Amino acid sequence: MAADAAVASGVESIAQQTATKAPGSRGLLGWLWSAGLMLTLAFLVLYPVAMLLLGALTNTNPVVDGFGVFDLSVQNFSEVLANPNVHAALINSLVACTGGTALAVIIGLTFSWVVVRTDTPGKGFIAAASMLPLFVPPLVAAVAWSILASPKTGLLNILLNTVGIEWRFNAYTMTGLIVIFGIYYAPYVYMFTASALRNMDPSLEEAAEVSGASAVRTMFTVTFPLIAPAILSGMLLSFIVMLGIYGIPAVLGTPGDIAVLTTYIFKLTAWSPPLYNTAAAVAIILMVVTGFLVWLQHKITSRRSYTTVAGKAFRPAQLKLGPWRYVTLALAIVYLLVVVVLPTLALIVAAFRRFLFIRDLASLFDMRQYGLLHFERLFANPLALRSIWNTMEVGLITAIVGGVVAFAIGYTINRTTLPMRKSIDVISTLPVAIPGLVIGVAYLWAWIGLPGGLYGTIWILALAFIARFMPDTVKALSTSLLQIHRELEEAAWICGKGLLGTIRSIVLPLARPGVIAAMTLLFILAIRELGSSLFLYTSNSMVMAVLLLDYYEGGNLGITAAFSIVQMILLAVLISVANLLSRGGSGDSSGVGRAG
Amino acid sequence: MSANLKVERLRKVFSTGKAAIDDVSFSVPAGDIVVLLGPSGCGKTTTLRCVAGLEHPTSGEISIGPDVVSAPERGILVPPRQRNLGMVFQSYAVWPHMTVHQNVAYPLKTRGTPRGERNGKVADALELVGLSDYASRPVTQLSGGQMQRVALARSLVYQPQILLLDEPLSNLDAKLRLRLRDDLRKIIKKTGVTALYVTHDQAEAVVLGDRIGVMRDGKLLQMAPADELYNRPADLFVASFTGASNLVEGRVMAREGDFGQVDAKSGEKMSVWLPAGVQPGEAVKVAIRPENVRLGTNGAAEPNTFRARVSGTRYQGTQTVYELAMLGATIDALELGTRVRFPIGGEIDVVLPPVQCWAYPAQQTIESE
Repeated sequence: MAADAAVASGVESIAQQTATKAPGSRGLLGWLWSAGLMLTLAFLVLYPVAMLLLGALTNTNPVVDGFGVFDLSVQNFSEVLANPNVHAALINSLVACTGGTALAVIIGLTFSWVVVRTDTPGKGFIAAASMLPLFVPPLVAAVAWSILASPKTGLLNILLNTVGIEWRFNAYTMTGLIVIFGIYYAPYVYMFTASALRNMDPSLEEAAEVSGASAVRTMFTVTFPLIAPAILSGMLLSFIVMLGIYGIPAVLGTPGDIAVLTTYIFKLTAWSPPLYNTAAAVAIILMVVTGFLVWLQHKITSRRSYTTVAGKAFRPAQLKLGPWRYVTLALAIVYLLVVVVLPTLALIVAAFRRFLFIRDLASLFDMRQYGLLHFERLFANPLALRSIWNTMEVGLITAIVGGVVAFAIGYTINRTTLPMRKSIDVISTLPVAIPGLVIGVAYLWAWIGLPGGLYGTIWILALAFIARFMPDTVKALSTSLLQIHRELEEAAWICGKGLLGTIRSIVLPLARPGVIAAMTLLFILAIRELGSSLFLYTSNSMVMAVLLLDYYEGGNLGITAAFSIVQMILLAVLISVANLLSRGGSGDSSGVGRAG
Repeated sequence: MSANLKVERLRKVFSTGKAAIDDVSFSVPAGDIVVLLGPSGCGKTTTLRCVAGLEHPTSGEISIGPDVVSAPERGILVPPRQRNLGMVFQSYAVWPHMTVHQNVAYPLKTRGTPRGERNGKVADALELVGLSDYASRPVTQLSGGQMQRVALARSLVYQPQILLLDEPLSNLDAKLRLRLRDDLRKIIKKTGVTALYVTHDQAEAVVLGDRIGVMRDGKLLQMAPADELYNRPADLFVASFTGASNLVEGRVMAREGDFGQVDAKSGEKMSVWLPAGVQPGEAVKVAIRPENVRLGTNGAAEPNTFRARVSGTRYQGTQTVYELAMLGATIDALELGTRVRFPIGGEIDVVLPPVQCWAYPAQQTIESE
């Protein structure tokens, strides 16, 4: 019986296979692999953070002194903590972020309730509108709003003037900062609360209704308390992102002299001589606060969820709003107008208009005032072209190197029993708690003193971005890896494939959409990143986001707007490509989000 | 306090156009427990939710006591909170962010009951369900059975006119289900509340219900006390759903009062019970419960005694199912006891008592849509 013999020998070879060892466990190669990953992570994350700490604890100037002398002291910290400017920046940060978070909760919670729990028409549209702000780069949003609502020349104020209203918008105030924060970071709250509402067993609310509670009472005594963890989680996340963002306070806060922690840190390094040590100390304070909030958020999310799942499938009960459903729809339209449509129009007007000075409404529609002047001047500047080229290069390096590293880490964490994989997991998650700006300062400290090193090349930018977005990429890749059933891999091993062969022939093809999506996401995040670039660019390695801010600070709104439009179009193209590649997978939007 | 419930010509058509409830009428006298029994999708839960006010019927009328609470044709639709009824959900629906006491006190708070009276009532309700010692616990620390007791206390604490229970035991494990099932009837009877109970589990229905209504495809087929349901099923579906799994095809030859004679396809003559309306000449299916097949004769000549061959046995520990080749079909017979009395291949006499052989028109089906 030939068939029997074949089966028998098959069984034998399987037995041999299991007798030797399952691939991906221990052995010298495994140790080497883990050690390699640990070294990579140490190079990307641990070393810069250690240098930042060292910088904060000494008075050595890394540019002048190199790293010869180390006088360790906490003097920087005590000075910083006693400095009234730091106090002001800290208080401004807290006020702006608290106010912004409060507004974000109101907007996010309202829309999640409208989308999940009411019969408002066009809910698909509202759901999309609620997430859209995540894709607007914060710097561009801030620039657009300064065009719309600067106290003297803002387009909205010209409109108010023409209709004879005395009152003026002013984006350059704390209120302006809070409103812009609130409307652009509402999606974080929305994401969390919408899914919590969707997963809530409707009979919990029905029980309240049967018990005699009115709809409003049910909402406040049952619904909101039940999704409180989700609300809190979204709140903390939006707070964290606002705290670490640079672009918006730089654009809106500077004219009104409102310094927040991030803008203050940058100011310290821009003084002459630059106060790198003080900057490092403030950056560490920012990092500690962020780290604490991230830890708090993690605690809340990992706690047992209140949302219990019922025995039978359910769809959330929907409130019939009657004529009010057009009010809720109108709210969503207004939100979309404020967050996306108006800013885009403002950018278009500013970019194509020769002079932004607009006397009245008639002049706004005077076509002779429009032209391609700003675009011509933008592209006549070699630095602009260079920055676009650099940005693409940095993006590409970040995407490819970062994608490969993250895949290696994700596979090691999720699919092997290699030594040190717990530490690898923890260290690769660490950058979640480090704001982009702090990463920038840390990389500055890590490389500026080393001659002939990375500083001044586009590689330092790429490495900083890889480190900064590592948690998001690893998480996205882990999700797509976990969707590949383990047995698919085991089947390949049984068939005699080695570990690498299995990865190449089974895992990679199956995970390809996820890998490509993660890489595209990295590319997008890298080309819009501002916070960490600020400290790492030189004129040779200028990137778009930094140059955009330069143009803005140079006072040329026309070119700024034109450049913003170029950047938006680039992003829009990339995001559509990403969407096509991941085929409508929405799981990655959170990554875009955290980057701010 | 407890009121009677009346449902008249209730219809509920979903937006898909399918009628979930089709012309259902029944009434529950004050203090009675009525169980709606049927396979999933038969409309029993929708009926219950219409009574609760959580679902809006298309037409028909529902009244609790003297008050009409739902009559769409007349524009009457009382919201759930004003119907003064209690409801126990399949998923317990106890609020996880509250303690046991807070859960039970909630309905009283919404009614503005003063604190002293409230605490007394909560204590009474918790004692009723046997959870007095758990008042200050967060509900998330309770077992499923305890959570369902909290839900029950919560729905009884304000002495509602009607108690609605939507498969309250189906999320519990088997052992707990049996215990809570017995307790449930005791507790409900103690409070004297009128109860409407929905389940797909026959045993639950029989233990709990004063009367049982069997539903199928949105229609109420029969509502009767359990023994009537089991001894005089109104149609083939009810007979088969309640366990009459043996079917013998034949034709009615004669009728005499409630009984008649059927010629089985294989030629034998059977005496059977005939529901009203079944006429001589009609093709019928005769339904027989496995428990009602008597193996062996007691010597006297009895009607419906047939010769059968034992073609198989299924030993189930405390009972045995014999597969009998007779009347041109395979008839299952169930006998209690731990011993198998007849070997496979043996020939025995089998008695099918005529009162327990029910003939239904052959066009009736046993499956629901």
